[in-house]
Order: sequence, then structure tokens, then C-alpha cells
Amino acid sequence: MTRKVVTLIALVAVAGLFLVLLRLGTPNELGTVSRHYVERGIAENRAANLVTSVVVNYRGLDTLGEVTVLFLSVTGAAFVLRRRERKPVDARASRASEIVQTGARLLVAPIMLFGVYIFVHGHLTPGGGFQGGAVVASGVLLLLLADRERELPHGLMAWLESLSGFAFIVAGLAGLWVAGSFLANRGVLPLGEWNRLLSAGIIPVIYTLIGLKVGSELAALLDVMMRGEAVAAGHGAARSGGGRRGGRTRGGKNRKKGGRR
Amino acid sequence: MIWLDALVCLLMIVVAVTATAVKNLVSAVIMVGVVSLLVSYLFLRMGAPDVAMTEAAIGAALTTVIFLIALRRTGEDR
Amino acid sequence: MADTILLIALVLAAGAVLLAVLRLLRGPTAADRAVALDVMTLVFVPGMVALAVFSGRKIYLDVALVYGVLSFLGVMSLARYFDRGI
Repeated sequence: MTRKVVTLIALVAVAGLFLVLLRLGTPNELGTVSRHYVERGIAENRAANLVTSVVVNYRGLDTLGEVTVLFLSVTGAAFVLRRRERKPVDARASRASEIVQTGARLLVAPIMLFGVYIFVHGHLTPGGGFQGGAVVASGVLLLLLADRERELPHGLMAWLESLSGFAFIVAGLAGLWVAGSFLANRGVLPLGEWNRLLSAGIIPVIYTLIGLKVGSELAALLDVMMRGEAVAAGHGAARSGGGRRGGRTRGGKNRKKGGRR
Repeated sequence: MIWLDALVCLLMIVVAVTATAVKNLVSAVIMVGVVSLLVSYLFLRMGAPDVAMTEAAIGAALTTVIFLIALRRTGEDR
Repeated sequence: MADTILLIALVLAAGAVLLAVLRLLRGPTAADRAVALDVMTLVFVPGMVALAVFSGRKIYLDVALVYGVLSFLGVMSLARYFDRGI
């Protein structure tokens, strides 16, 4: 009874707060920065999606911070949540029914294609790197639901993630080299015509890299959470855990890399 | 279309409050999925398609699966 | 004429969502609520397409496409969870 009363009071208080903010806090016209984005955003970036040009160009450094935060959180979660020992799973329990297996075989390719479409066309249609990466990771989830013992190529995923993040920094440094500021959009790649695929300078390249990075990251996280440490021992996120379990060569590798982190 | 927005707002509030009050945690996870769907609709009506698409792409499958794996691993679903 | 038909379609979709929410709030077991979630995502897709045609804005179609492609994964993982633990 007390819980319900407290919930009702909290709801009414938050509603009242929002009403006050609505009355006082909503601006009726654009501020100076917003007006610059709206008036000069298309001319400076020539991306059909104005939000993309704000996210990647005007606030590109914040996007780099977001990508770093996502990488750190996924690495931490994959490290904490991996299984210590491999639980014995019989073959019948790990494979799904016939419908799911056939459906997964048919549907994984269109889902991945859809995810790639979202992040490649980030500067033209609503969407972008993070959304496309989440859709690609959902495609990998479908593979894992169909057959739980499937071996995903963890080496490839780790390399793809690391190289995409590195290439993002290289694109920013290319902007620094050519145009004088980090992640600049003038001069590195031609701006092109409006509403074409190859336009808007370096924005589609950066969104493609973000999409690849987020997709492989979330797919690796799902795999580690669902399957266990024998998978994660090959992935870079759990190297020190593998050394603790035993195995002379793994311990040797750990010692070379500076021990348990 | 204001009636549709008002209906979705009301449903969202009711489902969200019920998600805090229900005992079974898997039911709460399902209600979080429903709130994500309704919030995505409201983002579209307010003219933010990128935010709506992010909410759809993440809330449709990924948060449900991660919550379920976490519930199974910690044994909280008893 | 087309506007009237689309408006009727929207009203019917909203009614279906309302009924599904009733099942979501009432359902004694979690499986009832999973079915309600499935119905809501399935009704959401044609409702958003009808809204897109009715109001003439193309941005509503992208979210409908994402939900149409991905909604069955959440329900399938719930079904796996109920059956044998994910």
C-alpha cells in the first residue's frame, strides 16, 4: 500500500515538474548555434540528413567520445559476464527447431544487408552508424538463436572492431592534416552533389566505420554472454582470465603482455 | 492525430508504472519492450526519426535479450 | 475517400494496440504478456505505414521497416527463455 502511494506521489511530482518546465523552458525561436546549423548546414556539408552532419561534423568529437564509451562498456561487460567454465550442453538442447533453423538461414542475409544499408545511407535517410550496427548485431543474434554452438569468427570480429576504431582516428587526423582541424569535412573528400550516395565528404566513410565497429562489438558481446569462456579465451577481452585458468602457453602470453590486468 | 498521441502517452504511462509494480521480472522486461515501442512512436510524432530509429533498433531485440541473459545468469527469475 | 479509409485503418490499429495492452496488464503468466508484445509489434507496422500515407511523410516508414525486420527476434528469444533457458 505504501509503495502504491509513493509511486502515485512520485508520478504527480514529476508531472508537475514537467508542466512547469513546459511553461517556462521551451524556446520559441532558434538560438544562434541552431540557426547556424539550419541555415548553413546544407551548404557546408551537403548531406541530405541534417542530423548526420551535426553528429559527425559539427559535434564529431562527441561522437568519438560516444564510440569510446561504447567500446569501454562492452569490453567491461564482456569481461565480467563471461562464463568461467563451459557447461555441458547436449546437442539436442542447443539446436533450435527446423523452422527456426531454416528461417535463420534465409533471413540472416537480408537482415545484415538492411543493417549495412542503414549505415551506408546515413547521410541520406534517417539512420546512421549506431542504428545500422545494432541491426547487424541483431542478425548475428538470429544466428546464435538458431544454433547455439555455432563458432563465430572471433578473430575477424576483433580485428574488424579495432581497425574500424583506428580508421576513425585516422580520418580525423586526415582532416587535421588537410584542413587544419580534427575531423574536418572540408577538403579531405569532395563534397559532391546533394542527395547522392558519394557526397558529403568524409561523413559516409565515418558512419560506415562506426557501423562496422558497433556491429562487431555488440555481436561479440552477445556471443560472450550466451556461450561462455571457451569462446572468449580467443577474444581479446578475456585474455587474463584464460591465463588464470591454467595452461602454460597462455600464462606465457600473459606474462609477455604485462600480466593480469 | 492528437487523440492518437494522447492515447499512446496514456498507455505508455500505465505500462511503465505497471512494470515497476509487477512481481515477475520477466514480465517487467516485456513491459520495458512495450514502453520502448510506444516511445519510438512518440519520437516519430515529434519529428525525430534518427532517435526513433535508434530506439527501435536497440529496443526491438537487443535489450530484451541482454536482460533475459542477465536474469538467467543471476537466477533472479525464481 | 482514401483519407477516410486510412483513418478507419488507424482507428482499428489503435484499437488492436489497446486490446493488446489490456492483455499485457492482465495476463496472469509471462507468456501471455509475450504474446501481447508480439501482437503490438505486428500491429504497429501497418499502423505506421497507414499513418505515413495519411500524413504524407516518408520518415515514418523507416521505423516501421526496422520493427518489421527485428520484432520477431525479441519474441523468439522470450520463447527460448520460457522453454529451456536462453
